[in-house]
Amino acid sequence: MSVHTRFYRDKANGKFMGVCAGIADYTGIDVLWVRVATLILLFCSGGSAWLAYFAIGFLADKKPRELYTDTQEQRFWQGVRQSPSRTAREVRASFRDIDRRLASVEAYYVSSNPRLADEIEKLR
Amino acid sequence: MDIDGVVAIGAIFVGLPWVILHYITKWKTAATLTGDDEALLEELYQLARRLDERMDTVERLVAAEHPEFHPGVPLSSFGVPNRETDNLPLREIERLRAQKGVR
Repeated sequence: MSVHTRFYRDKANGKFMGVCAGIADYTGIDVLWVRVATLILLFCSGGSAWLAYFAIGFLADKKPRELYTDTQEQRFWQGVRQSPSRTAREVRASFRDIDRRLASVEAYYVSSNPRLADEIEKLR
Repeated sequence: MDIDGVVAIGAIFVGLPWVILHYITKWKTAATLTGDDEALLEELYQLARRLDERMDTVERLVAAEHPEFHPGVPLSSFGVPNRETDNLPLREIERLRAQKGVR
């Protein structure tokens, strides 16, 4: 089973069982709105929402501590869970970006050739 | 009255399962990310980040060695600088192409 695309409850950042924080971490929605929506659901629907909350709370695994190294990585995986194809295109876009920048450095060295000019200057 | 009953029974026993099964089949045929895909995507993402950092270093080194080279200033037709204002439209193009289904 894939590590990054499954649901975890985030006990470390959670208020009670970490289910809301887990949903927020999974989707990328701000945890406050998830909590507000959960509270509205709990009070409006009666028993079934409580049951669902505790079912998730007891069945879902806790989030591993070193799942993401930084927030950029966390946002990347949130994007993957929302739309893998869009994230793949973003990765491709960043590769093209690097290609373009490398081309600019290469073009500088090929067109002006500063090292060769330096060598000629030294020999004079 | 009789028509209403027939419609209600039809809706519950034919319409509802139809809708549910329709969405189940859609969900099953939707493109999902397998474990291998995920590993590949992670590797590519990390590689892109590393290369991006290295490219920053190289640009800084070249700029330090040759003050006339500015990664922010176009030098030739290829020497387009890495600016977020240029990258945003590129990403927009990527997105629009994806919407139209162009690969």
